[in-house]
Order: sequence, then structure tokens, then C-alpha cells
Amino acid sequence: MPFPSASVIRRLFRRRSTRVTSEGLQFLIFTLAIGIAAINTGNNLFYLLLAMMLSLILVSGILAEYCLRRLELHRHLPDLLFVNESITAILAVKNRKARLASFSLTMCDVSDDHDVSSRLEVRYLAPGNSRLLSYPLTPTRRGKLQLDGVRVSTEFPFGLFTKKAFYPIEETVTVCPEIQPLDESLLRGLFAAGHEQSVHRRGHGSDLYNLRLYHAGDDSRSIHWPTTARTSQLIIRETEAEEQRRAVIHVPTTAPDSHDAVFEQAVSVAASLIQHLTYQGYGLQLLVGSERSSFGQGEAHSLELLRMLALCERRVPTTEFLSSHESVDPPIEDGAAGALILVQSWRGPGDEKAEHPLVMIDGEMILGGAHAV
Amino acid sequence: MPFDQALRLTSILLASASFIGLMVGTGLPEWLAALTGMALIVVLLRSVGISSVDHLVMRVPISATGWNLVVIGGFLGFWVDLLWVSEELLPAGIHFLMLLMVIKLFNLKFRRDYLHLYAISLVAILASGSLTTDLWFFPIFTLYLLAGVWTLLLFQLTKSSEATGSFTIPRTIPHDAQDGFDRVTPHLFWIGNGLAIGAFLMTLVIFFTIPRLSAGFYQKGVGENLRTSGFSDTVNLGAIGPIKRAPSIVMRVELSGRPLRNGGPLYIRGVSFDRYDGKAWTNRLSHRRSLREETAGTFVLRGKRSTVSLQSGETIQQKILLEPLDTPVLFAAPFVESVSGPFPNLLSDVTGSVYLPFPSASRIEYTVVSRSTPLVPADFSSEAGLYPESFASYFLQIPHESERVGALARELTHATRGAYEKVNAIQIYLTHNYRYSLDAPLAEQDHPLEEFLFTRKTGYCEHYATAMVILLRMVGIPARLVTGFLATEWNEYGNYYVVRQQDAHAWVEVHLPHSGWIPMDPTPPILEGAGDGNPAWTVLGRVLDNVRLQWNRFFVQYSAADQFAVVQELKAGSTSVRNKALDSMTSLVSAFTAILGGIITQDVSRVRIGFLGKTFGSVLIGLAVLLWLGMRQPWAGRSPGEKRSRQDQAMANLYGRMLTYLSRQGIAKPTAMAPIEFVGIIRARWSAANAHVASITGLYCQARFGHIPLTQEELQRANDDLHRLMSLQKL
Repeated sequence: MPFPSASVIRRLFRRRSTRVTSEGLQFLIFTLAIGIAAINTGNNLFYLLLAMMLSLILVSGILAEYCLRRLELHRHLPDLLFVNESITAILAVKNRKARLASFSLTMCDVSDDHDVSSRLEVRYLAPGNSRLLSYPLTPTRRGKLQLDGVRVSTEFPFGLFTKKAFYPIEETVTVCPEIQPLDESLLRGLFAAGHEQSVHRRGHGSDLYNLRLYHAGDDSRSIHWPTTARTSQLIIRETEAEEQRRAVIHVPTTAPDSHDAVFEQAVSVAASLIQHLTYQGYGLQLLVGSERSSFGQGEAHSLELLRMLALCERRVPTTEFLSSHESVDPPIEDGAAGALILVQSWRGPGDEKAEHPLVMIDGEMILGGAHAV
Repeated sequence: MPFDQALRLTSILLASASFIGLMVGTGLPEWLAALTGMALIVVLLRSVGISSVDHLVMRVPISATGWNLVVIGGFLGFWVDLLWVSEELLPAGIHFLMLLMVIKLFNLKFRRDYLHLYAISLVAILASGSLTTDLWFFPIFTLYLLAGVWTLLLFQLTKSSEATGSFTIPRTIPHDAQDGFDRVTPHLFWIGNGLAIGAFLMTLVIFFTIPRLSAGFYQKGVGENLRTSGFSDTVNLGAIGPIKRAPSIVMRVELSGRPLRNGGPLYIRGVSFDRYDGKAWTNRLSHRRSLREETAGTFVLRGKRSTVSLQSGETIQQKILLEPLDTPVLFAAPFVESVSGPFPNLLSDVTGSVYLPFPSASRIEYTVVSRSTPLVPADFSSEAGLYPESFASYFLQIPHESERVGALARELTHATRGAYEKVNAIQIYLTHNYRYSLDAPLAEQDHPLEEFLFTRKTGYCEHYATAMVILLRMVGIPARLVTGFLATEWNEYGNYYVVRQQDAHAWVEVHLPHSGWIPMDPTPPILEGAGDGNPAWTVLGRVLDNVRLQWNRFFVQYSAADQFAVVQELKAGSTSVRNKALDSMTSLVSAFTAILGGIITQDVSRVRIGFLGKTFGSVLIGLAVLLWLGMRQPWAGRSPGEKRSRQDQAMANLYGRMLTYLSRQGIAKPTAMAPIEFVGIIRARWSAANAHVASITGLYCQARFGHIPLTQEELQRANDDLHRLMSLQKL
């Protein structure tokens, strides 16, 4: 028979565990002392007291087990979390037992055998009843937040032992980088770069580009009726091509271990830029390492980009990589794709000590971009 | 009642239980008992909110330093007590413990104070258990267990609220403000009491099954042994008189085998005496020798019994629970053949008396097989035989100054023929011509026998027996005086004799040529005391004594041998086990049935008690089985289609009512249509009802097909939906 692996044993122990409380320890010491006295003297009344103490321990274990049994737990979390941004999670706990109530329940989320949330206390849950518990959850790291389950514990009925049960409710939530207010100088730099990049062209879009006379073949839906009425001539409304408000955000992922904190800052800056530019109506493309998103606009697209940032990983530079200079020459295919915003955490082998990421727009370093946030 | 108030009350109750245990068991000094009792009453009144007591206590401000000084003073007092007053560790410790309890009772402020009080209470009840084995310990223990369970329960329940209150744990979020779970609700009340009952039953189970590792033959003695007289080698005439007024129980005798003596008097023999010097009796044949141990714990007497008595004597098997006495004599019905019990060794003398090596310091239980001596018809006519000198010197010895006695003996027997007739004549003369009285100061006389026979003509058993022995010896019939007990108090609720100190008795053993030693009793039946007292109290006293006997048997005397016996019986086979379990159950509940019987009537017969016990036991077993079936519902998992929980049944009823209503509204559900399909029909034909129908149908499917039990909330929701649906009218 094969010996069960360590993970199996750990899982088994994770399902149920018991810890002696300080009061329980004193109780056990007294029980031991009475047991010794009973054996030493043979006094049956000492045995009676010993039996009482042992029965209280047994009853304690049985009742605690019943308290933790047949609970149903559901956790409700938002789809996307942000680092250091507190959200309200909701835990629904239902007592599925037909007759017995559960007492003194304490619950908390567990991730990788560690408690990751506040402890939630429910002192009484009647049979068949449920309770919604809300609690703040503040992730501290971007990436995938893996919640393995909920650990429920109780000290009922006598407070001698803390019995814990693990209810597996696996849930994975993406934690996006922290969104921070951008530095004023960076915003000014972005504004200036936007103007330089702005080439007004006719095309599909929503902003007004020009008004002109109607020519045969023009789309009748483009007729600008107020002007037509005023001038008694058919006037066509031309719009400004939207692709003129595009930006490409490039976040090189190559950085040595010493630049890990700066890399995280760079990712945070990029996320903040995405958020800001999305509000400004920009079409955005994100380059993270070798990954490239499509151009897009709007809230859904920005969330997609934030997810990419949430999951990107820093790569330690190798010799081959250094020769390729990936971070210096971003693979931009179309020169007309819009402003190229580079958020760089490591400039190359010469950059040994950096405190802030570098932000460059179209190859020009933005004043204040070195401490963008 | 709020949790904190309930906790305070149960804590005081816990302390009270241990205090009562100590007070009853050890006899605390009056001042200490009064002080502790007053403290308990004061804190109890304060905890129930009597403000006048609170104000009174507040007027006597004692600072923390003051209390510390009291503790130090108490500790110094403990040493004084230990070294000069009690001069023993246990009493001094108990006195100090009570002082600490009083101090703690007035300082119950923090949780640790409560813990200290619990520790003090536990030590106190432990000390109480070490100092007594009396029956009262059991109700106090039960009270302690009940209070302990409630105290621990409330201590735990208040822990959470305190932890989120004054002892802040920032990472804990309580979610119970909305349910108001801060007082003892009826639900919690029953849970707590159920918990206490469960703990109590489990305590009994553990108590009976926990291995007894102590190997001592005798337990440590508690208190002093009962004083007896009349069982030493030399006994002054009149020595039994003083203890004839003492009501203390000396032993309980249960007769097994044939129930031959229900209620009739039973002679329990102690020792016999052969020499009378005019004022005292002496046993000159007291040389003791060890008895042969036939099997482990069973000792056999090597008596010289006549063939006749061995063949026709009546066997009496007795189980005797003997209280600790100041004599090593082992009592039993005459004449002892074998003794079984937890003895390392037993001794006997040539007169058939049995002795322990030394007086027992604790109760002992032993079984004796005795055989009575029948009167052989040949002795009715035969004269007293000629006895060898060695025999006659012991049992025909008479004191010198007995001329008047001799004349009386001859006068009584001159008209009789044969030894037995002479014996009978003397016995009848004594029985009918003398008055029984304990107020007979004959011991102070120079010639007590003559004083009894010719002057006062009043005396008690010793005088009667002495007179008969001397009168018999005067006419050449060997006789000896025997002391022991005459058991007359029959406990019909436990089927045993209660033998008290006042039952101490002296009678005569006469030697007849063919029969051997025959017990004869010249003392007339004692009439004084008979029938006095309230019969109800007498019945209650007997019932209580039976409970006391069971307590001793099942708790105090329970030993590794009993456990071994149970294991052996378990091995004996399932039928035997079932019978034994029934017997044990019957005997366990017999005490309670006896109480019931005692309340109803004092004439409850043995048969009725047995019947009641078996009926009560059967009902208990039946209830336990029903409870188990109700809790486990073994059928639920096997045939889910047939048996449904109450919630599922309720949901099915709701769904049925919904279908009926919809049918009345013109939308009937075809039998073959699935519930979900029917929801689609409703959506198309009566959209206003769709939400309610869909909700009810969803819950119905969950319970009916998903096998997910519904909660009360879900049932309530379905019920609400049905009411809303029924308030709609289809256009």
C-alpha cells in the first residue's frame, strides 16, 4: 500500500484540526491531576470526578463537530480586484442542519493555508437559517488571488478547544495593479504629446471635422440638417477620424531582481495610464513584454489591458536578451498607431539602481515621468 | 436573562455546590461555614439585582490592597492552622481554600477571577470527595456537574462578546448584533440542560468503564470506625446495653437463593463465650487459626459438624455489606461454612467464629454460606449425654456463688424428661416471667445474675441469655453465650436486612447430644419502639437506605473485580449478556421505582417492584431506541423516493396547492408535462404569475429532484410566493 503523500496528509489535517485554548490547557492539567489522584488512592469518587472531566472533554468534541457540520458557504467577490483597494466581499453561510443550531462560529478566507481575510463571527445560527456576512478584503499583490476555501472554527460549547473545519470553496480572482493618481507633470507631458500627435483627418469618428456641400454619392445620413435648413443647401457633416487618438503603452518586462519594486511601480503606472487614457477616449494598445493586445477603446478593453498587466511577470535579463535590446526598440508595426508611451523599469545593464520607472512618450522623456506617481 | 448575569449566577451556584459538599463532608468550623455561607448569599442577592444588598456592600469599601492583605493574612493563618490548630494539611488547606473562595466571590470582575473561582470550586469538590463516601455526595456532585456545564457554556458564550468589547481583536468582525443573541433563550436553556444530561450520562459510562488501576484491598478509611461492644474476648455483663440505643447502621444483609426469610428475624452470629465469672463472660477458646482458601477469595471452615446437620440443615447464602467496625469479627448467620470476599486472609476459632486479621477501616462486602442446625427428633427424649472433661470444663462451667440459681434450675426442670424439655422449660420460664428493659443497671451489682433472677426480674438480652446458660449448666446441659445481631428490620424495597447498632443481641447456643449446637433465645420479643414514628417516614427511610446501598455497591465499592466480572459476563454469550443487561438496568432503576412505590404505598410487594423495574427499564430502552431512530432516520438514506423530510413534504404540498389554483384559473398542468415546461406555459399564458410560479417550481425541483434540503427561509419564500400568486386574478 503506497504511503500517502505529504500533500494528502496536509489536506486531511486541513479539513479538521483542534487546538487547545488556554482555559482548555488548565482544564487538562486539572484532569491529569485528578486522574493521578484517582489511580493513587483508588478512591471511586475521584474516578467519578475524573469521569466528569473526561465526559466534558468528549461532549466538547462532539458538540464542536456538530456545530461545524453541514454548513453551506458561498463567497461572492467582484471579478476584478485592485491592489490596495479595499472591496466588500460577501460570505453566505447557511446551517443545513435540521435540528441543531451552530454556535460561536468564526470564519475566514484561506489561501495557501493562510488566513487572508478578517475573522467573521457568528455566535448563533439557527437550524435551517442563513446569514450574509460582509467583510473588507484588500489584496496586496497583483496577479491571481487564489482563495482555497473558508476555515470555520468554533470554541463551543465550553471554550476548551478550538475546533476548525475547512470548507473548500476554490475561487480565483485577478488582482490588477494599483491605480494611482498620475503626477501633474506627466499629465502635462501627455497633453503636449497629444497635441503634437494630433493630425486632423477626415474619417469615421464622432467629433466634427468639417461641413461641406453635398455631393452625389454621399451618405444621406451624414446630412447636417440644421445647417442645411439655415443655408437652404444640402450640407454634409464630415467627422474626424478616431484613430488619431490612439496610444500604445509599452511595458518592458525585463528587469533584474534588484528592480523588482521598480517593475511593480512601472506596472502600476501603466495601469494608471490605461485608466486615465480610457477616460480620455483614447484607443489603446498594450505591449507587455512579448505580449501585445489589439487596439481598442472603452471600459471593457481597458479591463482587458489591466488583466494583462495583472498577470505579467518580470523576466530576469539573459545574455541573449540583452543583445536583442527588446526594451529599447519596441516592436511597433505601424508608425501611425498613435503615441508610444514607454514605461520602463530598467534601462539596461548600466541601470543599476533606479527608484522610479521611466516614462517616455515617443522617445522623449516626460518631465516628471521619472516619478510618475 | 442576560449572559453575564446568568454566568454570575451559575458561577455562584458552582461555588455553592462545592461549599455544601465540604460543609456536609468535613464539618467546617462554624465561623468559616457561616462566613462562606454569608458571602455566597450576599453575592447571590447582588447578582439577582437586589439593590439594598449592593448598597450595603458598597458601604464597606475594601481596596485591592486590602484584599491582598486579607489573602496574606489568610496564608499566615493557614500556617498557624497547620502547625498548631488542625495540625493536618488537609483541614488547614480546606480552611484556606474557603477563605480564598470568599475573597474571590467579592472580586468577580475579570474573566480570570471567574477562572480562579472555578479552580477553587474544583479543588473543594475534590477535597469533599476525598473525605466522604456518603450518599449525599451524589446529589451534590450532580448539582456541581449541572452548574459546571452551564458555567463553562456561558463562559464560552460571553468570551466572544468580551473579546470584541473591552479586549479588542481588530481583525474580528462580529455579525450577531442583529439576532440579539446575548441572553439565555428557551432554546439555549434546553440545549444547556440537554448538554448537562448528556455529560452526566457520559460521566456514568466513563466511570463504569474506566480501568481501575488501584490494587489496594481496602480503601483508605474515612472517619472513625463504628464502636461496638460484646465482641472482644472478655465482655462484662451489660456491655451491650449502651449500644442498644444507637441507630447507626452496622451492616446490610441480603439473602440470595431461596427467599426464605422475608421479614422474619435473622440471627447474625458474632462470637461465643464459655466462661462466666459472675460479672463477665470470657471466650477461652479464642485461639485463632487461618482458614483454608479453597478458591481465590473463598475460605472454608473445617468445622466438626454432625452428619445429620450436614444432610438436613438449611443453607443460607448471605451477601453482607459491613460498615467499618472497631472489631475484627466477621458476622454471619450461624453456622458459617464458607466466606468469600476481598480478604487476604481469614481466621476462625473452634467455636466457629470468623475473624479478619485486623478491623477493617472501610466498608467491606462479602458473601457467606451458612447452614443452620436442625433439631433432631432423637433429642426430644434423650437425656443430656456424658461429656468429656475437656468439653465440660468449657461449657458446663458455673460460677461459685450460684446456690439459689442451682435451686431454681432444679425446680424448673424436675418435672421434665430429656435434655430438650429442660431447655424448653427454662426458656419458657425466662421468656414469660421476666420483663425486658434496657433501664436495668445490673452491671453495678455484685451479683447481677441473682439480682436479675430474684430481685429486679428486669433486664435485657444479655441477662436473659446469661441466666439461661447458667441454669442449663446447673442441670448438666452444655451451653454458651453468643453475641451478635438480631436483624429484624427488613427493607422490602431492596430485599435486605438493615442491621443497626441497636440490634446487638445476645442469645444462647445449647449443645444437644444428637443435634449439636442449637441456637435458643430466651429474650422475649421486644415491643418497645414498634409502631412508633410516622409510617411514611419509615418507608422513606427504607427507600433512602436502599438508594444508599446501591450507591455503595455501584459507586463506592465498584472495583476492578466488578469490571472483570462484567467482561467475563460479556464473554458468556449474547443471551446471557442480554439478560444481564436487563438485570443491571432493572437493578439500576429499582431504586427509582422503589421511590415511586414508596410514595404510592408502603405495601409494595417484591413482585411488584420487580415488575415495575422491568417495565420501567423496558420503557426506557424503548424510548432510547425510538430516540435513536428519530435522530438517525436510517430509512432516509435507503429509500429517498419513499421517505422525505418534513420540509420536502411541505414543499410538495405547496406545489400541489399552486397547481390546484392554476387549474382553477384555467391553466391545468398535464400529468406528462415536466414542471419546468409548465413554467413556460405559464409565461406564455399568464405572464403576471410567471415570477411566482417559476420561484415555487424552482424550489420544488430543488427539493424533489436535487435532493437538496430546503431551509425554513426557502419554505417561507415559497409560501409567500403562493400567497402572492393566489392574490392575482387571471384576466
